[in-house]
Amino acid sequence: MSEDIYQDVFSSFRGEEGELISILLRVQERIGYISEEAVMRISRFLRLSENQVYGVASFFSRFRFDAPGKTSIKVCMGTACHVHGGSLLADAVGWDLGITYGQATPDRRFDFQRANCLGCCTLAPVVEINEQIQSRVLVTKLKETMNRREEF
Amino acid sequence: MKQHTTRMTLTIDNKTVTADTGASILDVARQNGIDIPTLCWHEQLSPHGGCRMCIVEVEGLSHFPTACTTPAADGMIVRTHTAQIREMRAEILQLFLSEHTASCLVCDEQEECREYMSTVRKAGVTTGCRYCPKDGQCELQAVTESLGVRDIIYPIYYRGIPVETEDPFYDRDYNLCILCGRCVRMCQEVRLADVLAYKHRGRDAIIGPAFARTHLEAGCEFCGACVSVCPTGTLREKARAWEGAPDREEITTCTFCGVGCQVRLLVKEDRIIGSLPADDPTVNQGQLCVKGRFCNTELVNGHQRIRHPYRRENDIAWDVSWDAAFELIAEKLRSSAPERTGMLVSSNLTNEDLYVAQKFMRVVMKTHHIDSTARLFYGSGFSAYLTLMDRAVPLSAIRDASAVLMVGLDTRFSRSVVGVAIRTAMKRGIRMFTLHSREHTFSLNADVWLQPEVGEEYRYVEALVRLAAGEDVTDRSIPADMRVRLADVARALSESDSPVILVGAEFLQYDSSRAFLAAVAQLADHVGAGVLTLPAQNNLYGSLLSGSFPELLPGMRPTADAARLQKLESLWGTSLTGLTDAWNADHLLRDDCAMQFLYAVGALPPVHRGAAKFTVFQNMYPPEPYCSADLVLPTAAATETDGSFLNGERRVQRVRRAVAPPGIALPDWDILCRLARHMGAEGFAFTRPEEIREEMAQVIPGFGEAEIDARGILPLAFDAVMHVSGNGTAQRPPDSDHPFILHSSVVEHTHRGFPLAAWVEGSRILFPEGVLDISAEDARALGLRDGDSVHVSGASFEEIYPVRIVRQQPRGALHASILESALTHPNPQPVSVRKADV
Repeated sequence: MSEDIYQDVFSSFRGEEGELISILLRVQERIGYISEEAVMRISRFLRLSENQVYGVASFFSRFRFDAPGKTSIKVCMGTACHVHGGSLLADAVGWDLGITYGQATPDRRFDFQRANCLGCCTLAPVVEINEQIQSRVLVTKLKETMNRREEF
Repeated sequence: MKQHTTRMTLTIDNKTVTADTGASILDVARQNGIDIPTLCWHEQLSPHGGCRMCIVEVEGLSHFPTACTTPAADGMIVRTHTAQIREMRAEILQLFLSEHTASCLVCDEQEECREYMSTVRKAGVTTGCRYCPKDGQCELQAVTESLGVRDIIYPIYYRGIPVETEDPFYDRDYNLCILCGRCVRMCQEVRLADVLAYKHRGRDAIIGPAFARTHLEAGCEFCGACVSVCPTGTLREKARAWEGAPDREEITTCTFCGVGCQVRLLVKEDRIIGSLPADDPTVNQGQLCVKGRFCNTELVNGHQRIRHPYRRENDIAWDVSWDAAFELIAEKLRSSAPERTGMLVSSNLTNEDLYVAQKFMRVVMKTHHIDSTARLFYGSGFSAYLTLMDRAVPLSAIRDASAVLMVGLDTRFSRSVVGVAIRTAMKRGIRMFTLHSREHTFSLNADVWLQPEVGEEYRYVEALVRLAAGEDVTDRSIPADMRVRLADVARALSESDSPVILVGAEFLQYDSSRAFLAAVAQLADHVGAGVLTLPAQNNLYGSLLSGSFPELLPGMRPTADAARLQKLESLWGTSLTGLTDAWNADHLLRDDCAMQFLYAVGALPPVHRGAAKFTVFQNMYPPEPYCSADLVLPTAAATETDGSFLNGERRVQRVRRAVAPPGIALPDWDILCRLARHMGAEGFAFTRPEEIREEMAQVIPGFGEAEIDARGILPLAFDAVMHVSGNGTAQRPPDSDHPFILHSSVVEHTHRGFPLAAWVEGSRILFPEGVLDISAEDARALGLRDGDSVHVSGASFEEIYPVRIVRQQPRGALHASILESALTHPNPQPVSVRKADV
């Protein structure tokens, strides 16, 4: 199964060094993160060492190296959200889940990310939960939403 | 425009200078004695412009370019030491220092520190801090001093990264790293190994392999090139970390394989503290492998080195004097028959040692019974190997080759400099093919990886021979996709003007090695390829040339050569007729081996106790407990004697004495000469190796002092017939009772009979002896973990091995690295495996 994903991604590339970042993006789109296997497969496809592939990927905050959690929580830390207390929301999520941003809970149910701007500053502060924007979020409201999510 | 002139004139610091076009400002300044501080610049590496120490002022430019990356131009006016630039450099340096935790750089008491280190108390005490191994040799320290930075205005940021010590041979403390990137460029540009890379970004940036892997897991060759170029104490050799600066250096030849790299030995207080690559244009070109770089020091400095001759009887040992030892040997030799006397030498000894050894046997003992352990290493393929080796092309052939085929060669831990040469040639666009049953350093990069099943390699070479001769491959046991690859390789080799075939040690102990090596020779003939064998024994050629085999006289002539015998008789002043030559090293492995006297020079005799009535063991380290040894004599290591080697290209190379041997140990040639004189023999009055070489030059053309200094390639031809054992038993496929294929190979990482793993700590991890490699899948299926013991049994053999789980090992195949004496036949053979009872 996973074999198909990589072959599928690689089929639209020529195998040149310069395609590395595009390939990484496509792989992350498909499997949600850059796994050790992904690094190995990309390294073989491009004939680059795994160390170089990882070196490039780790430079960009866009790429993550652990499997994402099921429910994704993105707290916006853009200027408007920050002024409206975005960092308090981030702290609250962190405390609640016992993780910091960029991580997933060990049971892989929640995934906590920080966003630089989600582009809806008039609704600040915002939190994106599973691609859905929650506007004017308060800590209490956020906890409620998360508790509800936990029931799923 | 003045672009076409080859010289340009510019002004640096009010000085008018001329330089070749293409040079950077830094190059021109340094050529003219103007010093610009640098940290990331290194002569072996491409300019990086990362450290910003070399910023200069160029008239007409509004910014301050880095001198290392800016090409000098005609008419340029450059200022390197204005007040503004000095201030900017100091500022940048402080930014470095705010993350570099060694306060030795800006300590108030720095100047007085050394002076007041020794304080007078009741006993002499040394105070002062010493927490960076690079103290006194640190480039950051030197730059800090030259820029006069005495204080750091920025807050100190300690990164708190744990020191990485899990890899062998070197440690890494990235708290001291200034991210100059020298190690990364060394690994990526020069070694082309791509193990080190920059990871993460900003203040989290760090250097290392992918994920949190160790260097061992990431495929590091442990060549130590990164350690050599590190300007700070970040990368440090485990064995040399606290030694300080060396007193002097000595250039010599590495003794670990047939490549014959030139090394710089670092000597301090009559002790070797390290070995670095010498900048040698012919062989290693400033590169080394893990053995030459790290194993040398530990091997020669081992505290268990023998210092005095000692006698061993009934498990009791006591020291004896040299005279008593010689008297004992003389007495034993006088009472032994020549046909039951033998000498076993190692092909690691110098030409001079080997020449004296064979002369001793032939003149004093009146027998041809001298043999090298190399015969046991190569087994049934010995003769075929020597014939192949005789076609050796120089190492430079790789650089000029248009296609390279590697058979059974993995350059990760041995012959790494050849690997670097191949990768460099690949950058140039040559075609590169590899034939190997396991994943290895080239399996990712090779144009074609021919991956046979273990034991099937011979069929592949044979198929290549047929294809090169224009025939089809009829062997249906080779999978279809591999047949396509074979056709591709054969076509490329045939079309190439100057292909080179490199033969590694992987398949040499196969029962089919004779046919395999003959097929390689045939293939070379068909495609007109040069062959490079690079034997595991550094002086295999020397042992052939000096006549250290029962079949060979000095000058590599067969014992039956009447003219050569006559010449030797007149040179040595003795009769050489009627000497026995019925014995060779293979006899030592037989059960009916009944020798009266065995003399092992630099070799571990592969015999059980009692196989020889009296055994003299002459070596650097004491014999293994199983080894029969009645008298043990201490010898000098290769770093403690003068002499010469002949590498796999047949190049004469000099070995130089860097330090004195431990205790009262003597060089091998000296011990044998003294013994011969003690026994009243004529012709052993040598006091220096030069005198031995003078005598050798009379029978071996091209062996004079001048020729050795020229380090040329000797024109030699091997035409003797060597006796070989083994019958080339056909291999049986695995069956339900024996589902695994076991391939045993003799450890090639040995020196004077000892596996390096015995005396060099790090090599126990890299190339252990007596360990069984198994694939991760098989280990999981059998419920095995790393280090567990397994019981392996074949049709006529049973053995218990500790296992090592190796990612590269193919499924269903096992690989054991063992000593010559533990080799079992058939090889490879089907076996069954179970977890040993605890």
